[in-house]
Amino acid sequence: MLQTFKDIIDILSAPTVSFTLLTIAFPFVFPPTDWFEKIHRKFGICRLWTKPGFYGGMIAITFFFVVGYFDPNFNITLTKADNFPIILMIYSMFIAIWWSMYQAYQNDDRLENGLKPMEYNDPDDKVLVWPDLVYIEFIALILFMVFLIVWSILVAAPLEEPANPAATPNPSKAPWYFLGLQEMLVYFDPWIAGIIFPIFIIIGMMAIPYMDINKKGDGYYSFKERRIGMFIFMYGWVVLWLFLIVIGTFFRGPNWNFFGPFEYWDAHKVVPLNNVNLSEYIWVKMLGTGMPTNILLREIIGFIVLIGYMGILPIILAKSWLKNYFQEIGPVRYTFLMLFGLSMLSLPIKMYMRWLFNLKYIIAIPEWFFNI
Amino acid sequence: MFKNDERYWNIHQLNKWFAISSILFMISFVWMFIDDNDDEYKVYQRNFRQLEIQMAEVELAEELETVKNERVSYEEKAQEAQNILNSKKSLADSLEFRLVTLKGIFYRHNMNYQGQKSEIDALKYLVEKDNTHGLDHGEDHSAENRQTFDDANVLLHNYKLKKEATETDIANTELFIKEMNRDVKASTEELNRILADVQLVQNKLEKIDRKHMSFMNKVGDLVRDLPILDFMNPYYKVKQIVVPDIKYNVNFTQVPSVDRCTSCHLGITNPDFAEAEQPFRSHPNLETYLSSASPHPMTEFGCTGCHSGRARGTSFVSAVHMPDSDEEKARWEEEYDWEQMHHWLQPMLPSNYTEASCFKCHQKEAYINDADQLTLGLSLIEKSGCNGCHLIQRYQERRKAGPDLAKVSEKLNKSWTAKWIKSPKEFRHNTRMPHFFGQDNNSSPDMIKRNDTEIMTMVNYLFPNGKEVSTENDHRFMGDAVKGEELFNAVGCRGCHIVEPDEANMSDGISIESILKDHGPNLIGLGSKGSAKWVYNWIKNPSEYWPETRMPDLRLSDQEAKDITAYLRSFTNPDFEAMDDIELDKKQLENIAFGWLSKMNTEAFAKSTLANMSHDEKMDFVADKSFRYYGCFGCHNIPGYEDAKPIGTELTFEGSKPVDKLDFGYIHDIEHVNHAWFRRKLENPRIFDHGKESPAEDKLRMPNFGFSDLEIEALVTAILSLSEDEVSLKMHADQYVSDELVYEGRKLIKEFNCQGCHIIDNFGGQIVDVIGSAEFSPPSLNTQGRKTQPDWLFKFFNGPTTIRPNLQVRMPSFNMTDDQWNSIIRSFQFADDQLLAYETDHSISWGRKIKAGEKLASTDFGACDNCHFYGSTFPIQGAQAWAPNLAMAKDRLRADWIVDWLKDPMVIMPGTKMPAPFLPTTDLFEDDDASNIYGEHLIALDGDTTAMLEGIRDFIWAMKGQKDISNIVKQYFDENGYNFGEEESDEEDEWDDDEW
Repeated sequence: MLQTFKDIIDILSAPTVSFTLLTIAFPFVFPPTDWFEKIHRKFGICRLWTKPGFYGGMIAITFFFVVGYFDPNFNITLTKADNFPIILMIYSMFIAIWWSMYQAYQNDDRLENGLKPMEYNDPDDKVLVWPDLVYIEFIALILFMVFLIVWSILVAAPLEEPANPAATPNPSKAPWYFLGLQEMLVYFDPWIAGIIFPIFIIIGMMAIPYMDINKKGDGYYSFKERRIGMFIFMYGWVVLWLFLIVIGTFFRGPNWNFFGPFEYWDAHKVVPLNNVNLSEYIWVKMLGTGMPTNILLREIIGFIVLIGYMGILPIILAKSWLKNYFQEIGPVRYTFLMLFGLSMLSLPIKMYMRWLFNLKYIIAIPEWFFNI
Repeated sequence: MFKNDERYWNIHQLNKWFAISSILFMISFVWMFIDDNDDEYKVYQRNFRQLEIQMAEVELAEELETVKNERVSYEEKAQEAQNILNSKKSLADSLEFRLVTLKGIFYRHNMNYQGQKSEIDALKYLVEKDNTHGLDHGEDHSAENRQTFDDANVLLHNYKLKKEATETDIANTELFIKEMNRDVKASTEELNRILADVQLVQNKLEKIDRKHMSFMNKVGDLVRDLPILDFMNPYYKVKQIVVPDIKYNVNFTQVPSVDRCTSCHLGITNPDFAEAEQPFRSHPNLETYLSSASPHPMTEFGCTGCHSGRARGTSFVSAVHMPDSDEEKARWEEEYDWEQMHHWLQPMLPSNYTEASCFKCHQKEAYINDADQLTLGLSLIEKSGCNGCHLIQRYQERRKAGPDLAKVSEKLNKSWTAKWIKSPKEFRHNTRMPHFFGQDNNSSPDMIKRNDTEIMTMVNYLFPNGKEVSTENDHRFMGDAVKGEELFNAVGCRGCHIVEPDEANMSDGISIESILKDHGPNLIGLGSKGSAKWVYNWIKNPSEYWPETRMPDLRLSDQEAKDITAYLRSFTNPDFEAMDDIELDKKQLENIAFGWLSKMNTEAFAKSTLANMSHDEKMDFVADKSFRYYGCFGCHNIPGYEDAKPIGTELTFEGSKPVDKLDFGYIHDIEHVNHAWFRRKLENPRIFDHGKESPAEDKLRMPNFGFSDLEIEALVTAILSLSEDEVSLKMHADQYVSDELVYEGRKLIKEFNCQGCHIIDNFGGQIVDVIGSAEFSPPSLNTQGRKTQPDWLFKFFNGPTTIRPNLQVRMPSFNMTDDQWNSIIRSFQFADDQLLAYETDHSISWGRKIKAGEKLASTDFGACDNCHFYGSTFPIQGAQAWAPNLAMAKDRLRADWIVDWLKDPMVIMPGTKMPAPFLPTTDLFEDDDASNIYGEHLIALDGDTTAMLEGIRDFIWAMKGQKDISNIVKQYFDENGYNFGEEESDEEDEWDDDEW
């Protein structure tokens, strides 16, 4: 019974399966449109953002870890001092998201009933910095210090030997907060996954207040009033960042091979990596010729795809599906929104292209260290 | 408007939260301090302190007990003196009072005097300035200044007189007091001398035991170890030794090792703790290690230089201790929560392998003292030919481990050779030739067929033109086997060979001593191998068949050689003979050839090449591939493969290879440490192929040597010794040996197994077990370096002559170069600190001494001619007592050495039957007929033993006569035979009866 459960989890947690499931389930959890909202309500998914939903979620996570603790294989990864923050992260992220959604849903109800949001304080709508805020912050600070001290006493820092280029650990893992990035490196060239994307993430988040001109939901939690924005952000945050960290922590073993949480990390496991570039697909597989010697000619299709995706697609959207929205926010905001949004979307797209077609790079010019 | 009392939160609630969190913070803070200061080593140091206190108290009690009776009288005496002094108390008091007063007065006078002196210095300057510069701002003050200066000097003189007078008074008073106290002081000093040891222990206790401390010291002792304050001079602290000459490798750089081991191993250099519990026990070998008088003092060598491990670790686990056995591991896990720190690349060597570290500094020695396991391991590397396939830069092969196969067709036949290659141990149970076939990864029927075919191709190559040995004329080379056995045991064959057909009779253990016995092969089954003709020719002259062989020529006569041949041919191995011949499978031949061809070429090319090959070409092609695949040329000289590269992994730094570079394959029931891997590999070299699907060309191919557990442990020690760790050049032992030849000589001594027959460096001479008595065995070569003249020794090596006429065992003629002999001679000389190659001839002083010597050597006294040949003159006694020809001495021996030898032969050659000559003492000369008995010359020497010994030496030196008596002796034994050995016990009595 338990073994069956473990086997199922192992199968489900394969990145192809789990990522797909999460992506499909996501709009039903954070419904961006009325249609999703209807199903969200109909199948009671909305109860996740109620108190029973909280308890259920906490129990499910805890159950997973408890079973993992008593599993000889999962125990090894679970009890590593390095992975302790990830466990905390899973709990804290669930709690934080649940709490904000819980309040958002309550506010949504109040607004629907013509009431003011809970955060609204009549008449002056103010909070005292001193003593209220500072005092609370101070207490929180002390308690957090206590937590850090106790943690550092109980769990020794996982220090290793001086780095030796001749003896790299297998698997070589980044610090936990970078494991999402490291997971991206599986699908993208280092300069994209390691440089362009992190910069886009930071600048993109800084740009959100400038791109999002929706005045609703300022100063209080709400979901309905800005559900598309919430959906997009939460997808990026939870699936494309947190979940990738979890994968990197628990599911990536020796040789960066994928292992289910209850599987033994067998260093002998070999997975074929027969990835093919788009140009190879076009020239060799479809046209049955050799590769052109001219690099630009060779990669011409890749460039066309890239220009189409990043340059032409936004224009088409602006003229058709997003016509109203484009007019609402204007061309500058729209351009940036598309730049960041399409970049973000390219990650799952590239992941699926890899999984479905073994696609390595859309543009592959290793001669210039330029691969996309 | 701002209202100060405006609150949205319940501030009392927040106050409570604040209180709770502050208390929690306080608790966690205290906890942090405790955790931070509660180091494991401090616990050990506290325990050690208790142990020291206990031991000191026991010692104190013992010391007090020792002086218990003695001290009483001294204490009484001291008391008495004190009483006398006490009776003069009033006088003493008044004197004391006077002294105090005088000192007060002196203080005042002295102050005046010193003050006046500095005044004078200032005035002196003014006067001197006047003397040289004259006017001061145009005015002349010189007379005035001079006057002041003079007046001041008068005053100073007054002060001085007063001061000196008081000084004298004080001195007198003090002297008086001292005089009064003299008895008391003397008796107290005596008492203290008796109690000195007690005092010593008491002082120690006062330092470490709070019970014995004063109150202030108690407080200090407590405070010095308090957190934060303990930065100054704590009692409990990390103790460390920085060893600049032993480096630890931190990937990119070599840093001096910093050993903190003594933080817990507190009694390591103190022999008093030999019985203490760990970690306090002292080092088991303080004579060689750690103590300041030893060759490896702790301050220069530290701990991890030899033991490895994490030098900076201050807890049991963080020092990366490594268990010796599974039991120890289980115990450690129980007691210390032990687990291996996987990230530390150099875990401690389990104590069983500690000797591995000796090699860091002792790389050139043939035998490393006190490191028998390592020496054995290194010897086995050479004997088994490991370094034939595995390059070891610092331990390169000196010669191929196996025999030369260039002329093997003269020696063997094909069928035997094939069977031997397939399973050598079936023929000779203890052969060093390893098993390549019938192993874990090549025992499938297909593989056996393949291997048989490979074997046949190799055999085919080794027997070009199809020639092989025949036994047709064997009867012509066989003599009397019984005589042959006698000779075999007597002439020296047993120095290197055993003949032991039964594996069960082999001794269990292997050691550096035991490998001296089977230096050469175990000579069994020769009746089933090759031909008598070959054996005969081989023992007659080994280097004719194989110029590089180590087998020496024993100068056997034709008949002797025939007898020995008959004896050796009498051992047969019917089981081996009955084994099926190895068959060549033509299909396999095709397969193997195709496999190799297509590995390097396209299949089409492989096919066409194969189709164009004749059968012989295929045979040669597969033979070539097989030789190169199995690396046969690592151990054997095979024509055509003289320059072939060794096939194995380089082992130069194998001991430092990170464990993740070792392929554990699918073997999981093994510790992930390098020595466990080496052990398993040596037990079963193919084990890590287990479960793997490799093509035949890629299978593991290290052969199975059938090593015993002891051999494996020794080899693992040797492999671990090949480490990357650097030690400064000055730590290398060879820095203390001026001459490279010395090491070369010692290696040659080992390589040619000289110690099979001779004792050299207090090691070897195992042939005595066969001969039965040291008297009839080859001589001990103790002091050889200063015993013989180097040029004589060189000549002797090149053409041995009879020295000890009563020995049946022969010094063989070795086929060595001048370089090699020079190295051997140099190593002898070095051992005896005698490095001169050329020396002035000893000149005899023709006078009283030599005459006295002649007397001492005469029949009346020494009767040297009882045993020694005087030239061609036979000794008086029978052959069993014969000793070297004294006429040869001046050519052979060094003059100084003879005197040393005569002084006490037993010191130089324990067990010798040579007695020390009788030397009369002066009291004997007082007898009436002394001059008749001793003669005037001897008496005139007046009991000077050195002069007498020199006299004997000169007598021998002056002796004339034939020097080489080999032929005379040989002739004698040819006529009379050698059979005195059996009556030996009787002979000994005769010596005991002698008056000396």
